[in-house]
Amino acid sequence: MDVNVPDARLMPATLAPPAAFSGRGRRFAWTLLLLAVAFGAVPAAIVGTGSSYLAQIAITTMIFVILSASLNHVTGTAGLLSIGHAAFYGIGAYAAALLSTKAGLPFMVTLPAAGLIAALFGFLVALPTMRLVSIYFAVATLGIGEMIYVVLLNWVDVTRGPMGIRGIPPISLFGWQADTLLSRYLAVAVIAVACVWVLHRLTHSYYGNALRALREDDQCADSMGINVERLKIESFVVATFFAGIAGALLAHTSAYIAPDNFRFMESILILAMVVVGGLGSLPGAVVGALFMIVLPEALRDIGDYRMIAVGATMFLSILLLPKGMLAEGTALGFVRRSFSRGWATIAGGMPVGWK
Amino acid sequence: MKKHAVFGAALGAVVGAMLAATAGATVAQAADREIVIGYQAPLSGDRSQYGEMFRNAAQIKLEEFNASGKLAGAKVAITFEDSKDDPKEARNIAHKFLDNSKIVGVIGDFSSTVSMAAGEIYAAEKMPQLSQTASHPDFTKLSPWQFRNITTQAFEGPYNADWIIAAGKKTAAVIYIQNDWGISALDGFVSGFKAKGGKITATEAFNPGNRDFRSILTKVARQKPDVIYLAMFYEEGAAFAQQREQLGIKIPLYGTSSLYSPKLIELGRESVEGLHLATTFTPDNPDPAVQTFVKEYAARFKSEPGMFAAQAYDAVGIMLDAVAKAGPSVTRESLRDALAATTDYPGVTGATSFDPVTREPAKALAKMMVKDGRFQVVTGP
Repeated sequence: MDVNVPDARLMPATLAPPAAFSGRGRRFAWTLLLLAVAFGAVPAAIVGTGSSYLAQIAITTMIFVILSASLNHVTGTAGLLSIGHAAFYGIGAYAAALLSTKAGLPFMVTLPAAGLIAALFGFLVALPTMRLVSIYFAVATLGIGEMIYVVLLNWVDVTRGPMGIRGIPPISLFGWQADTLLSRYLAVAVIAVACVWVLHRLTHSYYGNALRALREDDQCADSMGINVERLKIESFVVATFFAGIAGALLAHTSAYIAPDNFRFMESILILAMVVVGGLGSLPGAVVGALFMIVLPEALRDIGDYRMIAVGATMFLSILLLPKGMLAEGTALGFVRRSFSRGWATIAGGMPVGWK
Repeated sequence: MKKHAVFGAALGAVVGAMLAATAGATVAQAADREIVIGYQAPLSGDRSQYGEMFRNAAQIKLEEFNASGKLAGAKVAITFEDSKDDPKEARNIAHKFLDNSKIVGVIGDFSSTVSMAAGEIYAAEKMPQLSQTASHPDFTKLSPWQFRNITTQAFEGPYNADWIIAAGKKTAAVIYIQNDWGISALDGFVSGFKAKGGKITATEAFNPGNRDFRSILTKVARQKPDVIYLAMFYEEGAAFAQQREQLGIKIPLYGTSSLYSPKLIELGRESVEGLHLATTFTPDNPDPAVQTFVKEYAARFKSEPGMFAAQAYDAVGIMLDAVAKAGPSVTRESLRDALAATTDYPGVTGATSFDPVTREPAKALAKMMVKDGRFQVVTGP
């Protein structure tokens, strides 16, 4: 793992080449390629084929990209195994649904509010659980996740319980309404890209290094002057904030939500995306979400054996690529090089540190 | 550089696979007029047993229909898709069906939540949807494109309440499953029972998946109601009846039609003796249509069809009859209108008509009780 590479800022100035030469062109190439896929190729395919099925899958994928990337932040990068992520996704969805249907607030308000409310719950959950480590923290989040699901199911006066909430208005901004599937996809994609960008800047930085340090050994990190508890709480709050955003997007794109959208299996699905993609790897989390949403749809034609095939593929991918499709070490090197986030060393060597 | 290229290839491959897989599925082929009905149901996962029954029953009905020659000049086929009882899969399926121009109508899904998740899309995109089981009160209110072939608890609850009152029983405790269906079953029964002068001693909810009813039983039995009314499915019903027997509680059980399944007796054995329920379908019904279906189903799938299979059999029948009425040039619009005009469809779950305004089905229910290890039709209270 190359998380402990020397800090380029500590190197003599003569060794660090000028930033202008450190692959700026390549950085733009990758950024442009990814943006071209999200805002060029996928919309073009939707328009070209006229397929609403493709658009629907693309929307679902984007929502799960946010969920997977945010869970990766707390579970992959900071090493806190959370198996209750779907509950915060649910809180965000219900917050957006209730604020828009009951209080009549616009999307501009419900989107950030959903994130903040989910983050507030995340903060309250984090306070007592941050002293727990490894599997104990996982079991605590399992319990919290079930509690939140049961509250959504049973607090009929507010959530309408299992009846769910209907008639949630579509995404709208200053009078513009995303009422076609294409515009809905574009709105979701813009928000998803923004979320991933924020997580990218948090993960691929010295702040991210601190999170990785506490994952590897929190006592050691503590002794090095890292405020372990604060960082853990921060990473959990950030992850739950983005889960809330994903929930708001689900509510506003699907018009109807019910507690069944946020069952335990949903948390496991998100966790599987992170692990299959590569625990601790943000590009991996994105690829994992893409893989786990698209694969079951692509296999529809094989009928009854579909879920067996999905399970077998997951099993094989973990067996053959235990670090995930894009392992963390590779992913960090990739981000340093291709997005010019690291300091380049002498003549074509591995870039180090973070800018 | 090498790793760089690998990354490019991996990303490209995933994106390419996504585009190819989804675009490939939508390519339509030019052929003779083939009318397709989409059927979405849980064919895998926790509730796959229901999806399996739906598919079995649908296949029988479809073959009967195509052999009957009711629709000259076209052939009808059914495309099944597995929703896993998951709302997000159901939304994908909805769009997959909408993209297929041959599909003129959709049957499904199983649970109300999943049916409504897809229903929002069918409502917006104008596709007739007929669910064999979705009983959520809002389901048919989504749009004029939603239909169902199941009497809701707003119909069944008061029907059972009348039956219990007529048997001279005045107090009841209600045990219901905490989901949309359970709540509507509770509301339907309680309002009907109170309206006839009955008294509700307790209402107790349990969460889906729970199999331990001892604490609820002890609590409820203390108030000595005349009957216990069960709004749940057969798995829970069998567990409930067994625990009631173990605790030595003798209060008679009445239940919703959802308990009606051969599995209830298989799992509950002697403990379910004397349980009363009213259902739309009974394999003992001497009606030749019912007997043909029961024999055909048993011969093919080696099991006796339950209410769910019958419900799906009739849903498919209603849909196909509407297709025949609309003719070989059927469209989604004309199919919707033909469905809405369904009157006295002679199915195995009783003659079915859709209300012209609410599109709610009306059916006649058969009163039954478990006696000598099987369901038997009872006459009188």
